[in-house]
Amino acid sequence: MKKPKVAFFDFACCEGCQLQVANLGEDLLDILDTIDVVEFREVMTEKWDQGYDVAVIEGSITNEHAIEKIKRIRERSKILIAYGSCATIGGVNGMKNDFELNEIEAHVYQENAKHFKTVPTMAVSQVVKVDYFVNGCPIYPPEFITVLKCALAGLPYHVPDNVVCVECKINENICMYDKGVTCLGPVTKAGCNSWCINNGNVCYGCRGMVSNPNENSAKDVLSKYNISLDLIKNKMNMYNKCRELNKNEKDKS
Amino acid sequence: MKNAILKKEKLDDFIKIMSKDEKVIAPVLKGNQSYTFTEVKSADEISLKYLPTILPPKKYFMPQHETLIEYDKRNGQKVHCVVEVEDLVIFGVHTCDLAGIQCLNMIFADRPKDMNYLIRKNRITLIGLECNSYCDEFASCALMGNHIPKGGYDLLFTDLGNYFFVEINTRKGEELIEKTNLFENADSNHQEELNKLRKLKESIFKPEVDIDKNEIPSLFKKKFESKIWEDIGERCLSCGNCTNVCPTCYCFDVLDIPDLNLKTGKRVRVWDSCQNEPFAKISGGESFREKRGDRKRHRFNRKFRYPVERYGKFFCTGCGRCSRTCMAKIDLKETIRDLIKEGN
Ligand code: SF4
Ligand code: SF4
Ligand code: SF4
Ligand code: SF4
Ligand code: SF4
Repeated sequence: MKKPKVAFFDFACCEGCQLQVANLGEDLLDILDTIDVVEFREVMTEKWDQGYDVAVIEGSITNEHAIEKIKRIRERSKILIAYGSCATIGGVNGMKNDFELNEIEAHVYQENAKHFKTVPTMAVSQVVKVDYFVNGCPIYPPEFITVLKCALAGLPYHVPDNVVCVECKINENICMYDKGVTCLGPVTKAGCNSWCINNGNVCYGCRGMVSNPNENSAKDVLSKYNISLDLIKNKMNMYNKCRELNKNEKDKS
Repeated sequence: MKNAILKKEKLDDFIKIMSKDEKVIAPVLKGNQSYTFTEVKSADEISLKYLPTILPPKKYFMPQHETLIEYDKRNGQKVHCVVEVEDLVIFGVHTCDLAGIQCLNMIFADRPKDMNYLIRKNRITLIGLECNSYCDEFASCALMGNHIPKGGYDLLFTDLGNYFFVEINTRKGEELIEKTNLFENADSNHQEELNKLRKLKESIFKPEVDIDKNEIPSLFKKKFESKIWEDIGERCLSCGNCTNVCPTCYCFDVLDIPDLNLKTGKRVRVWDSCQNEPFAKISGGESFREKRGDRKRHRFNRKFRYPVERYGKFFCTGCGRCSRTCMAKIDLKETIRDLIKEGN
């Protein structure tokens, strides 16, 4: 059987998720036995000019040039995987959407601003069809491998729509709230095996909110910890700003 | 079987001798007043006075992740059943948690029998530890009648100052006593001290909610449409903490995990919860219990009504874990009180 051709691409991001893949170690060798990597900027310089069985996309879409590029990749790919928060939910790049675009352009590019037109930050799925999502900032490597296996086997992968607390409790961590620290676990999508809490950190909500978060109650819970409503809102928006684009769509229709 | 006593200074030897032959599990402080059942090698690691652990001992009877089968499609369809099992002694299990294990035993022995559970259970030795006073204000063990031992253990330890009174309940427990050779026979003085403690406990432990226990199922039936469920639903985060920590919750999901070659792999069972958003979703996206309030009502009825109707047994042990762990401060005793207060 011929090995499937897989290409990795990046858009607006820090390339941290590529690094996670490059650092998979032994698992990476097993993966490389199974697939044929034809493009991967982090580790190789070759380019491939034909179709891809699987395109793996990192980064969010932030300008017209990127919109055109991702559309072309989509056309050439049988399966498209978005990975990392930037690609799956817009991630931290979404914070741009809090500002006027021309202000942002002027601030970043100063007198050259007119050559660098920007658009509101979008997740990949807000521009083209995405077949598989690997959420997280950065991705949780075991989940990436699971998704890759599903994609190769033609099986669906459902990003868990439970909150991080579920995995956190199963791992028998002491709850951050019992330590007097706030945590976004109760509104954030599971799937990372409560990675941060296992390692003594709080959940920042990097995987994005579940489909039906109880935001009001979460705000109530958080507000008991003497933090301002603004800070709570900022915490919740840090990774989730781009979901407003979908809400606006819904409002229009 | 005669009862025995163990001098406190001999506890360490007891743990050490047992841990030579099999894993010994006991309550250990993890931090911030949180305890877990963890493997120990000596008595000084154990917290004899502890709040109910984050997860109950059910994690040894039905592990969070458990392989059920391994499959191989390279040459036909080969399936190989797996039972992940090891000999364990669990020491220091409170009477509420012993009651929880008795509930699980009933469920998994019901048809269709769950062989993985039943095989594993037979390899576990249970040593109970009675509470002389309340663990904290979340407990409702007296309401449920689980503040005193009601079986379900091989040995039961009761702390009587400088020694433990040890009730021998099974042949397995007796063998352990013979093997370790550290115990003495209990005499009438010891028995007298035990009776005194039990008497004292009667004045400490009182039903925590003012209701006749037998009335609870009908209360829940009557209050099925109560607005209280809606109110609780608005506060609930669907975090599933209350079910994961509950000693009698046993819902699970079964998944296939292929290896990278996509030909071999395993089927695993993982904990699931009726509080999770996707739990009652079916194909097409419909959900039987879409609203959080519906899911909360379901959980309570699964403790105080449905199992009473089906098995004649309450599935709440009164351990208080669900209330202790809930960030939204949804409290079990308060909920029952509110339902009573609401009247007809
Ligand atoms: S530490 Fe965070 S993720 Fe874990 S149970 Fe507490 S709130 Fe949930
Ligand atoms: S615990 Fe939270 S912040 Fe950490 S990886 Fe998981 S979702 Fe992201
Ligand atoms: S622990 Fe509290 S917030 Fe979480 S699911 Fe249970 S009742 Fe809801
Ligand atoms: S319902 Fe709550 S108090 Fe009752 S057994 Fe479960 S966790 Fe313990
Ligand atoms: S709920 Fe009762 S039996 Fe359980 S630990 Fe607390 S006092 Fe002991």
